[in-house]
Amino acid sequence: MAGTRNYDFLIKLLLIGDSGVGKSCCLLRFSEDSFTPSFITTIGIDFKIRTIELDGKRVKLQIWDTAGQERFRTITTAYYRGAMGILLVYDVTDERSFNNIRTWFSNVEQHATEGVNKILIGNKCDWEEKRVVPVERGQQLADELGIPFMEVSAKSNINVEKAFYSLAADIKKRIIDTSKTDQPPAQGVNVSDQNNSISSMGGKCC
Amino acid sequence: MADSAAKLTPPPSPTASFYDLSDDEEGEYNTIMHSSSGRGVKLLFSKSKVYVHPTPSSKDNIPGFIALIQQKNPTADARPGTSSSGSSKADRATSYLLAWLPESSLGDAFDSYVKVELSDGSSPPKNTPLVPQPPTSTSHTTSIGTYAFAVPVSEIYSLLIRPPSLGWWFGSVVINTRAGNSFPALFFHDDECQSTILQKKKLVRESFDPFSEHGGAFWGGDEVLRWLKRYVVVEKSGADPSVYLIEPSAEDKLGFGGKTSTPSSPKLGSKIAGPMGIQGPSAASSSNRDAGMDPVTKALKQARWSFLEKMSQVTNFTRRTAQDIVENPKVPPQVRRLMVNPEVQTLQDEFDSARVYLARWAMGIAEQSERERSQRIYTAQDVLEMEDSDVGEFEILDMEANNLSLAEKRKPVSIKEWKSFFDPKTGRLQVTVDEVKERIFLGGLNPSDGVRKEAWLFLLGFYDWDSRADERRAIMNSKRDEFVRLKGAWWERMVDGSGNAEETEWWKEQKGRIEKDVHRTDRQIPLFEGEDIPHPDPDSPFAEVGTNVHLEQMKDMLLTYNEYNRDLGYVQGMSDLLAPIYAVEQDDAVAFWGFVGFMDRMERNFLRDQSGMRTQLLTLDHLVQLMDPTLYLHLQSADSTNFFFFFRMLLVWYKREFEWADVLRLWESLWTDYMSSNFHLFIALAILEKHRDVIMEHLKHFDEVLKYVNELSNIIDLPSTLIRAQTLFRRFQRTVEAVDKRNNFPIPTVRQRKPADKPSSPRPSNSGATSAVDGRRRPGSSAGIDAGEEAKGKTKEKVISPELRQLLSTKVEVLDKKATKEHGGVVAA
Repeated sequence: MAGTRNYDFLIKLLLIGDSGVGKSCCLLRFSEDSFTPSFITTIGIDFKIRTIELDGKRVKLQIWDTAGQERFRTITTAYYRGAMGILLVYDVTDERSFNNIRTWFSNVEQHATEGVNKILIGNKCDWEEKRVVPVERGQQLADELGIPFMEVSAKSNINVEKAFYSLAADIKKRIIDTSKTDQPPAQGVNVSDQNNSISSMGGKCC
Repeated sequence: MADSAAKLTPPPSPTASFYDLSDDEEGEYNTIMHSSSGRGVKLLFSKSKVYVHPTPSSKDNIPGFIALIQQKNPTADARPGTSSSGSSKADRATSYLLAWLPESSLGDAFDSYVKVELSDGSSPPKNTPLVPQPPTSTSHTTSIGTYAFAVPVSEIYSLLIRPPSLGWWFGSVVINTRAGNSFPALFFHDDECQSTILQKKKLVRESFDPFSEHGGAFWGGDEVLRWLKRYVVVEKSGADPSVYLIEPSAEDKLGFGGKTSTPSSPKLGSKIAGPMGIQGPSAASSSNRDAGMDPVTKALKQARWSFLEKMSQVTNFTRRTAQDIVENPKVPPQVRRLMVNPEVQTLQDEFDSARVYLARWAMGIAEQSERERSQRIYTAQDVLEMEDSDVGEFEILDMEANNLSLAEKRKPVSIKEWKSFFDPKTGRLQVTVDEVKERIFLGGLNPSDGVRKEAWLFLLGFYDWDSRADERRAIMNSKRDEFVRLKGAWWERMVDGSGNAEETEWWKEQKGRIEKDVHRTDRQIPLFEGEDIPHPDPDSPFAEVGTNVHLEQMKDMLLTYNEYNRDLGYVQGMSDLLAPIYAVEQDDAVAFWGFVGFMDRMERNFLRDQSGMRTQLLTLDHLVQLMDPTLYLHLQSADSTNFFFFFRMLLVWYKREFEWADVLRLWESLWTDYMSSNFHLFIALAILEKHRDVIMEHLKHFDEVLKYVNELSNIIDLPSTLIRAQTLFRRFQRTVEAVDKRNNFPIPTVRQRKPADKPSSPRPSNSGATSAVDGRRRPGSSAGIDAGEEAKGKTKEKVISPELRQLLSTKVEVLDKKATKEHGGVVAA
C-alpha cells in the first residue's frame, strides 16, 4: 500500500531504565495523555506512536517500551540498535534506579548505534516528600555523561511533552537537517534504519 | 433455459412416486422444486460408495451415490455434454442437480444408478436412464437420517475439495450454496467404489500412471469435478486451492483474490503454467506446489487443511480486507462513508490505524457469523471436525468406551463429577489419570463450585494422582510446616539483619521489586483491589496508598519463593503466575506450593541467559515452518521469524491476552499435559492461524506484526482457540507421522548423501536450529523443515527437528538445579 504518508519523518525512540521507574507511565502520558497509578508490569516489548510537529514538519515518533528488569536485558538490548534516540529513565524517589543509570548508559554505548541521541529523565518529580535524588545530582550525572537532562512527572504531567519534543528535535537536527541530500528524507534514512534494527535483532537473539 | 433444445421422450419412470413420500419430511428445505410431472429425471453420472459420516464412529457411516441429474426440462439439450464451453452454460445450470442419495433409499432405481456408474465413458450414456426425481433442496437440515439431497447446480456457490491421502483419510467434497449453507461432507471410499477402481485401472493401462494429471492420485472427487465442468464453469479459487467456485461472478473472483484464471480450464493441474504465472505470489506459489508433488508431500500439504479458515472463505462474507469492506453491502453506511473519506484513506496508510483495525473488525464479524452458523445447522465445520477425529482410530475407541459425546466432554467438570472420580472410602482415584485429564483438558473445571480449589492441587503436583485421602492430609500438614519454615528463614534474616552486605543488598532489591510488582498485578480483581489496611512498612513507596491482606500475602509468598529457589530468584512475570493460584486457593501455604509446582515447568523461561525462551521461540519457528510454510515465508519477509511478538504470551502463558476467567480455564487445560506438555505452543499457533490472513495481507514489517499481535490482548476467543489448537495438534501429529513414514521408505532417487551427525553428540537445550538429527533418520541439513522446499527433488532432506519431536511428549521438562545455576539465576551480571 504505497500512498501519501501523513508524516515527513519517522523517528524511533527507546525507553530504558530500572523496573518501576515509570517508563510505561511516561509513554502513556505522552501518547495518550493519561495516567493510571496501578499500571501493569511491562513484559517483553511494545511501542506506541505519536505524531508531532517540529519546524512545520510532521514527525512520527515510534516509541519503544521495554521490560526494566535486568534479567530481560538480553532481549531488550536487541532493540537498542534501531533506536535514534534513547530516554534513560530513573525514579527520583529510588536511589538504586539512579545509580543504575551508569549501567544502562554503558549498555547503550555497547549496543546502540553510534551517535544515538540520549536524554536523562528523572521521573516522579512531583513526589517531593519521597525524593532521594536531588535535581542537582541528576544534572551532575547528565553533564558527566554529556547528555541533556530533565525531571518529569507522568502523574502530574510535568515536562513529559518537553522531554520527548526536545529529544526528537535533537535527532531531527542530527540526522535530517545535516543530511545534505535533497531527496525526500522520510524514506531514505529512517525506514531502512528501522529495517536494519529488526534484522539485526533477529540475528542476535535466536 | 438452454435454447439448443432437443426432443426428449423419456419412458415413464417405474418409481416415479418414490420420493413423493419424503417431501413432507423436508419441511425445512428453503425451496422445493418439482418437475412438472412425476415421470423422472435423467441420470447423467453417478458414483457409488460415497459416504456421509454422521458421527465419528465408522459404523454409523451411510453409503450412497453421488449423482449428476438433469431435471426434466422440455427445452433442455439432450446431449449437453457435447458442448463444453457454451455461453449459455450459466442458464443451463438450473436444470442440473448435484445429488447425494443413500443406497437404502434408492429402491428399484438402484440398478439404474449402478448401470450409469459403470457405463464406461467420459460422457453420459446414450440412453440416459430416468430415475425418480429427488427432493430438491438448497439448504441442509439437521434432522438426523435425512441426509439425502439434490441441490440445483445453479445454487452451488463453491465446492470444498479435499483429496484423499493414502492411508490417512478419505477424499471429501463439501457443497456450499449461494445462500451460505453447507451440506455434510461427502466421503469417497474409493477402495470400495467399482467405477473409481475401474477408472484407476484404465489410467494405469493407458498411461502406466496411476496419478491424475495434476500429480495427485486419481480419486472419485476428480470425477465429480469432471462431470460438473461439462456443464458449468468451475474455477479453482486463487486464494485457496481447495475451493472450487461454481459459475463465479466477477465479484466472487474479486473476493477470492482477483484471480483471472481461464474459466474453461478443464484440468486440476492446468495451474502449473499459463495465466497463473502472473498472479499474486501466494496464489502462484501454492498452485505450483500443488502440482507435481509426490503423494506424501501432498499429504503433508493437505494436512494443513484448516476447516475454520475454510468456513469463512467459502461463504460470501469472508475475512475481507479494508478495501473489500468499502464495497461490502453488509457494512453499516457510516463505516463505509468513513472508509471513503480521504482523511481516513491517508490514515489507512499507518498500520496502527483504520486499515488493520477494520480488517480485524471484519474478522470479528466473520467469526460471529461462524458461531451463529454452527449453532443453527450442521456445518462443514462439524463434519470436518468429526473427520479429524475419525482419522485416529484410538479416539473413536476411546469415545465409544466412555460413551460420552465430544459435546459432553466439553462441559466443565463439576465438583460432583470430580468427587465421583474418587473412591469414597480410600479417597483414591478410581478412574484413570488420563480420563480425568482428558475431561479437564476438554471441559475445564466449573469456575464457581469450588472444584478448582481441590483439582488444581493435583494438576500442580501438590498431590499425587494416586494418593489416598489420608496421604493427602499428611502432605498438606508437612507442606504447611515447610512453608512456615521457609518464610521464617527470610523473615528472621530481615529482622535481625544477619547475612553479608552484598546478600542484604540483593535481598532489599528483590523485596522492593516484588512489592512494586505485586501492587500492579491484577488489581482489577476484587480480591486484590482494596487498599484498606495501612502498609506495614512506613518507608515503603506504597505506605501512603495502603494495601490489603491479599497483596501482603502475595509479597510474602514471592519472597518465600525467592528464598526457596535462590538460584533463580524473583523475576518479573512471576507475580502474574502466582495471582490466579492464590485467588483460587486463598491459602498462602497451599498457593505457594501450587506456585512452586507451576514454576517447575516455567522456570526455564526466567533464566538470565533466556535460553528457555529462545528454545521455545525456536520451537515455534519450526512449528510454523512445518504447519504453515506460506505464512512462515511471509513472516520471514517481514523480519518476524524471531517470533518475539510471542514473548509475552509464552512467558506468562497468555495471562495478558485473555480475561481473568479465561486464563484460569486455559491454564487448567495446559496443566493436564493431555496432548502435549507444550500445548501452549499450539495455542500460539492457533492464534497465529486465526489471524494469518490479516497478517499476510496487511503486515509487512516486524513492528507492524508486533503491534498487531500485542493488541490482540483481550479480544481472543478462548473456546474456539482451544479447539483450533487441538485440531492443529492432531494435524501436527499426522504430519510428523507422514514424514516418518516417508523417511522409513527411501525414495529411489539419487541423492547426495551427507555424513550423518553423530547421534550421540550432546546437545544443549538451546543449541539452535542446526542440531543433531535422530540417528535412525536420514541426515538433514536443517532441523526444521525448510519452508521453501515443498516440491520434491530438492537435495535437502526433510526431517523433524528434535524441538518439534519434543512437542509430542506429554512429559514436562523440569530443569535441574544445576541448570538453573548455569544458565543464570541471581548472580549479578
